[in-house]
Amino acid sequence: MFDVTVDLRRVRGIRGHVRPQCELVCDGIVEQEPFPLDTSLPLLEWGTNFALATRLFCYLLLHAGVVERGGRAIVMPAMPGSGKSTLTAALTLRGFRLLSDEFGVVRLQDARLLRMLRPLALKNESIDVIRRFESTAVIGPRFPKTRKGTVAHLAPLPSHVDARHEVADPALVVFPRFEPGAGVVLEPVRKTRAFARLAVNSFNYQALGPEAFEALAQLVDESSCWQLRYSDLGGAVKALGELLDETRPTEEGMRAVPRSLRVASRPPE
Amino acid sequence: MNAGNGSSLPRPPEPVRPLLAALLQPASATQYDESHWDRLIPLARSARLLGVLAHRVFERVDRSSLPDRVQRHLDAGLIEARFRRQKTLYLLHTIKPILAAHPGPRVLLKGAAYIAQDLPLAHGRLPTDVDLMVPRASLDGIERSLQNAGWEFEKNEAYDQHYYRAWSHELPPMIAAGQAMELDLHHAILPPVGRIRPDTALLFAEAIHVQGSPFHVLTPLDQVLHAVVHLVHDSDFVGRLRDLLDIDMLLRRLPLSERTSRAALLERAHRHGMEQSLHLAAVLCRCWFDTPGCQSLIAETADTGSALYGRGIARLAGRVLGPASTREGATLTKLLLEGRSHWLRMPPWLLAYHAASKGIRNLKLRATKRERPAEG
Repeated sequence: MFDVTVDLRRVRGIRGHVRPQCELVCDGIVEQEPFPLDTSLPLLEWGTNFALATRLFCYLLLHAGVVERGGRAIVMPAMPGSGKSTLTAALTLRGFRLLSDEFGVVRLQDARLLRMLRPLALKNESIDVIRRFESTAVIGPRFPKTRKGTVAHLAPLPSHVDARHEVADPALVVFPRFEPGAGVVLEPVRKTRAFARLAVNSFNYQALGPEAFEALAQLVDESSCWQLRYSDLGGAVKALGELLDETRPTEEGMRAVPRSLRVASRPPE
Repeated sequence: MNAGNGSSLPRPPEPVRPLLAALLQPASATQYDESHWDRLIPLARSARLLGVLAHRVFERVDRSSLPDRVQRHLDAGLIEARFRRQKTLYLLHTIKPILAAHPGPRVLLKGAAYIAQDLPLAHGRLPTDVDLMVPRASLDGIERSLQNAGWEFEKNEAYDQHYYRAWSHELPPMIAAGQAMELDLHHAILPPVGRIRPDTALLFAEAIHVQGSPFHVLTPLDQVLHAVVHLVHDSDFVGRLRDLLDIDMLLRRLPLSERTSRAALLERAHRHGMEQSLHLAAVLCRCWFDTPGCQSLIAETADTGSALYGRGIARLAGRVLGPASTREGATLTKLLLEGRSHWLRMPPWLLAYHAASKGIRNLKLRATKRERPAEG
């Protein structure tokens, strides 16, 4: 079964012969302003994002990059200039499996993370940063002069594609920020604050209401939350790997306690 | 045979029938395979009826008998409808104190009215805006109070304002910061210059107070007739399946199958001059939803105008009522129906003036757009 069906088609009419365009249709509605015909792939990417964000009310959709190792996920909410896509791409090239570079798909009943696997979109300088970071990375054609500048797509590894139906447990919430000269700095973030930032950055938290609150509360509850400031991409990837390993025992301990008790017995932050 | 013979009526187009079947026999949803759901869910979604379908299916079928993915998509439909309902209630809650100072009944129409009365037809339905009808005498005062409270007109060009105020039954749509829905302030249910002039005083005089709220709603008969003219008289039918379903459910609520309700409805339609519209709606409801009592209503309204004309319009309307994917290549039909809706809305001289004004304005707009880049 499909979640949404989209139709990417050439715009008809006189203009089509002079400056051909393409449009993306979902449920009979044209979802985006037409794009030039030679940028149909970015249109497919953004149009599909929009179609999913405005229809998939059956999941909490966070605006975040998500990767996983050993079934334990790192959720990286996208803040402007955060370098979320670059970091997500780098992690997937160093042993983490990609869930999504755009959507943190949270299952409502148990706050597990689902995969929405597609080519990972890299923008502008990120394209060369990733090419330098890993020479074997498979990156598709560049699309210059799009709405978001130059765009290219990184192919997920075959093993990530094979795992596309597996769910992952929430383990880390990391708010990345690219900061020249920072090196790698990890600082803890209060859970209440992490909750608020994730909710504000969600595509449909407001529409879902109570179910979204419950699911997000559980996700944050089961995660260790951090702010990452970095200028060294390799160092950041290594630090997140170590952080994920360190948090394991606490996570196991947390999960053994019933959720209702956990909320009540948590010491004030 | 005469117009009462169901077999001579136009059937809905083939592509939309799976949706109609699912809405009318939700219990059979357990027998659908995944490929059928793959067709049905986008169809329901593009008709803005996914929530309604979900409500009907979950009412009749144990959810565990449906595939997981289907359950989730139906849930998505219900969640979106619940969110819209919440936005509607929030809007009503915020305008309550603004309206309090003004006299006269405040009558909710359509979606907001169905929600306020908690009618079954509100379940899973997606209201698009909030329609509120107030007496003409209170209109200016209420408009000012709303503006003082931060509501403003989305279209504020002089011609738009003039068009709405002189020839329409409502003010231009109003928006406010923090409100996700538009507010349409009405003083009647149809344009005062149109072919049908419903008895607005009667609508107000018999409006029913909603318990525990400062709002009124129309009588059940007037609710039917308003839904009828909204679709049949004030639209071009394109993609309006949801509006036809509203009429179907309002008719079932009377219930139309009883002779006395039909007589009352006919009498009411006569007072508002809406018999012909009612006839056309009955034909469409009979064809699309097999609404009980419509067969008799068609026969009882057959002499209110040309039955042939009614069937002709029903045939055209049937081609375009469904969602976009079910109405490929109906360009001429759409053009005819759009022309008809303008024809009904205002007299020809006014229509000509309106079309010319719009045309000139569009030309001017295009000219200024072209000039701008040169300036910069």
